[in-house]
Amino acid sequence: MQFISTSPRLANVSEPLTVRFLLLGLTLVYLLAMLVLPLGVIFVEAFRKGYETYAASLLTDDSIAAIQLTLLVTAIAVPANIIFGLAASWSIAKYQFKGKSFLITLIDLPFSVSPVVAGLIYVLMFGAQGYLGPYLQAHHIQIIFAVPGVVLATIFLTFPFVARQLIPLMQAQGNDDEEAALSLGAGGLRTFFSVTLPNVRWALLYGVLLCNARAMGEFGAVSIVSGHIRGKTNTMPLHVEILYNEYNFVAAFAVASLLAFLALVTLCLKTALEWRYSGELAVSRGH
Amino acid sequence: MSLTEHQRRPWRTPSVLPGFGVTFGFSMFWLGLIVLIPLAGIFTWAASLGFSDFFSILADPRILEALKLSFGGALIGAFVNTLVGPVVAWVLVRYEFYGRGIVDAVIDLPFALPTAVAGLALAALYAPNGWLGAPLADAGIKVIFTPLGVIIALTFIGLPFVVRTLQPVLADLEPEIEEAAATLGATRWQTIRKILLPALLPTLLTGFALAFARAVGEYGSVIFIAGNLPYKSEIAPLLIIIKLEEFNYPAATAIAAIMLVMSFLILLIVNLLQGWARRSTGYAG
Amino acid sequence: MASVGVNDKSAPIRIEVKDLRKSFGAFAALDGVSFTVQPGELLALLGPSGSGKTTLLRAIAGLSPAEEGTIHFNDEEATTLSLRERRVGFVFQHYALFRHMTVFDNIAFGLRVRPRRERPAESEITQRARRLLEFVQLGGLEKRFPAQLSGGQRQRVALARALAIEPNLLLLDEPFGALDAKVRKELRAWLKDVHRETGLTTLFVTHDQEEALELADRVVIMRNGRIEQIGTPSEVYEEPATHFVCEFLGNVSKFDCTIRDGEAEVAGSLFPVSEDNGLNGPGVAYVRPHEFEIVIDEHGEGLPATVKSVRPFGPTVSVELELAGREGPIEIAVPRELIGLGDVQPHRTVHIRATAARIFAAG
Repeated sequence: MQFISTSPRLANVSEPLTVRFLLLGLTLVYLLAMLVLPLGVIFVEAFRKGYETYAASLLTDDSIAAIQLTLLVTAIAVPANIIFGLAASWSIAKYQFKGKSFLITLIDLPFSVSPVVAGLIYVLMFGAQGYLGPYLQAHHIQIIFAVPGVVLATIFLTFPFVARQLIPLMQAQGNDDEEAALSLGAGGLRTFFSVTLPNVRWALLYGVLLCNARAMGEFGAVSIVSGHIRGKTNTMPLHVEILYNEYNFVAAFAVASLLAFLALVTLCLKTALEWRYSGELAVSRGH
Repeated sequence: MSLTEHQRRPWRTPSVLPGFGVTFGFSMFWLGLIVLIPLAGIFTWAASLGFSDFFSILADPRILEALKLSFGGALIGAFVNTLVGPVVAWVLVRYEFYGRGIVDAVIDLPFALPTAVAGLALAALYAPNGWLGAPLADAGIKVIFTPLGVIIALTFIGLPFVVRTLQPVLADLEPEIEEAAATLGATRWQTIRKILLPALLPTLLTGFALAFARAVGEYGSVIFIAGNLPYKSEIAPLLIIIKLEEFNYPAATAIAAIMLVMSFLILLIVNLLQGWARRSTGYAG
Repeated sequence: MASVGVNDKSAPIRIEVKDLRKSFGAFAALDGVSFTVQPGELLALLGPSGSGKTTLLRAIAGLSPAEEGTIHFNDEEATTLSLRERRVGFVFQHYALFRHMTVFDNIAFGLRVRPRRERPAESEITQRARRLLEFVQLGGLEKRFPAQLSGGQRQRVALARALAIEPNLLLLDEPFGALDAKVRKELRAWLKDVHRETGLTTLFVTHDQEEALELADRVVIMRNGRIEQIGTPSEVYEEPATHFVCEFLGNVSKFDCTIRDGEAEVAGSLFPVSEDNGLNGPGVAYVRPHEFEIVIDEHGEGLPATVKSVRPFGPTVSVELELAGREGPIEIAVPRELIGLGDVQPHRTVHIRATAARIFAAG
């Protein structure tokens, strides 16, 4: 009966063992049905027709193009958000000025906007009937239904990830280290790279991890701005949808399984980071 | 004198650290370019429609049904999570059992799994021949291509919001509170109902609000299982996409604007409730 | 008692604790603890942190049961009773008030959660809670929330809440631990009154010896999960049973000495040593500050000592001295008149002599 126990402190005022078993059982069954089965079904469906079919459906030109585009978009969106996150957290956490909390709310805004709406705002801006549409057309610049649109939408939806990890941590750490470095004669950039950055490296990594997962998996917003042009503006999630709509289920699940695998890796790394650097990350996550 | 002092008080407190101008300037520029200006565009677009156009678009029964489904489904999903989430959080915080670390990590799956992948998986799982769909079909319950499917998808993506909000608060509750109730003669159930639930109420509302906000705008994990039958299982975000594909920007904008406004109103109500709960319970959420 | 209407129950109970044992891993928190609390007694559990005093209190309350041993309330075995059946009024160190309930609801809680057939009518609950509020001098504050009260007021609410269930006994865990010095003093006197008026058998845990000696009828001194000594405040103070009790209770100076033929010389005086410490061998002596006298005569008896500092505050004057051949200064308390003579001043040499000492065999 040692299988399930409560913290010793509360042992005597806790629920009876039967109730504990019941609650644990219900929780496990619920989580199994709600969360684990969907994950399992992806891999089972992907390998339904064997390993060779799986490999073949991943190695089509369109699939490879989709993987390449996803990597390209991520390779632009993640660094962009790292640079923004570092600049924003430095200017917000290390200085005192009015309207700071409002600014943080604005940075968090993309989290509360529907992905579809996020896509829509760029169409309204850059689309054929959008505010800048005529100008862009006259100069033969294509943003919507092209890679730049996909990149923009991805940056928008992953916008807060890095900044919201770094701001609370930098605020908690204060300015003492930086002031010490400056008083010892270090320059501003030197101080940033050899003092500030090492202090927040795990939180930064944590933010990058989440940002990366979201960038690779973004669907709704990208779906609007990409135009679903095969081999050109199709990212992996969009490719999954197209294959599914063509009843090419094995291929759809094969591409999906890659994304699911990525999610699992992200979860493992995230959990490892949380165990190893719980104190440092707790500052940001309690937010 | 003091007045001039006050007027001269700088917007920013001086600091010895260099680089504020550059980093702040860049942050504001980027924030404006990527987020603020495009977002503002939606409201200028909506405003240019004018009231009568705006409401005649929204009077379309297909749009009304889609909005009803998106908001109703999100409310039900968030509600289910507000019931289930506390149990899950309780088990994870209070009980020690083998594999707790793994179970805890699994909670984040809906965060980590790309929405399209989740949607695909749910559709396969609840299909009439799927692992869960088959037994449910035998019981006469059809999930896929029905509002029920939409609700399941919205429940799926909302769970971590409630659990993750509750966990730290539950872990921080003083054990003495429960011991005090027990020494005063309360049964376990009385302690949970009269002491713990009121203490967790503001946090539960926060979790509800987060799960709801996410569910209203959700697209990827819903469309596969929903089947998107007009008037029946078509959600509002999908309708925005359909309108855009028809190059009907005004309709797409109107739907988006009404969604933003309604979400804002609902979150405002939740916020007020939260403030009330926090004041009347003395617990921070 | 009945006149206050706080405890309408029958006579206070006797508690008998026998050979209680409990360990947390390899650490023995209770290592065979036995003692009896007389009906209506006010008993202090005193000891340093980690001595097991709170564990003992929680075991009596039933909050964390002991692994071995028995606890009897009168003649009833309490270890098999549920928390509700024990009816123990427990006051937590940080009060553990229900933050979302008013003061009134906090106090009424214990009555409202009773099974329906035992539950008093709401009007009676109201009456009882009102009476308790008056009793703890918080009349008029019933609508406040705990967050709106001072520390001392919260302590009173916690006590009223514990008394509301008509407890068999009252247990308090570090009742003054979270309060500032001034409020502590006030509440100490008040707790004594409460005990007198309720007549309940009462145990409280403290690490403050002054608190224990001032308040309690008897003091249980604990160390490493065992009882070192039980006795009235004057017994434990005047006749400490062990080295530990000696060192723990107040300020003492420790001297090494040699026991020879049942006697030992300590700080210039010869004292008899009780027989159970052996007739010969190395010994340790403890002398309290007021058990020294200063011999002004330069050629007199006693130990020569150099005055380091004089603190002339209060009824007695505290003098810090250095003794030749002894590490660290000793502190003695002498009557104020001595200072007037002008002989006790920093850097001067005086002679001191112990007037009393407690001597134990070393080791």
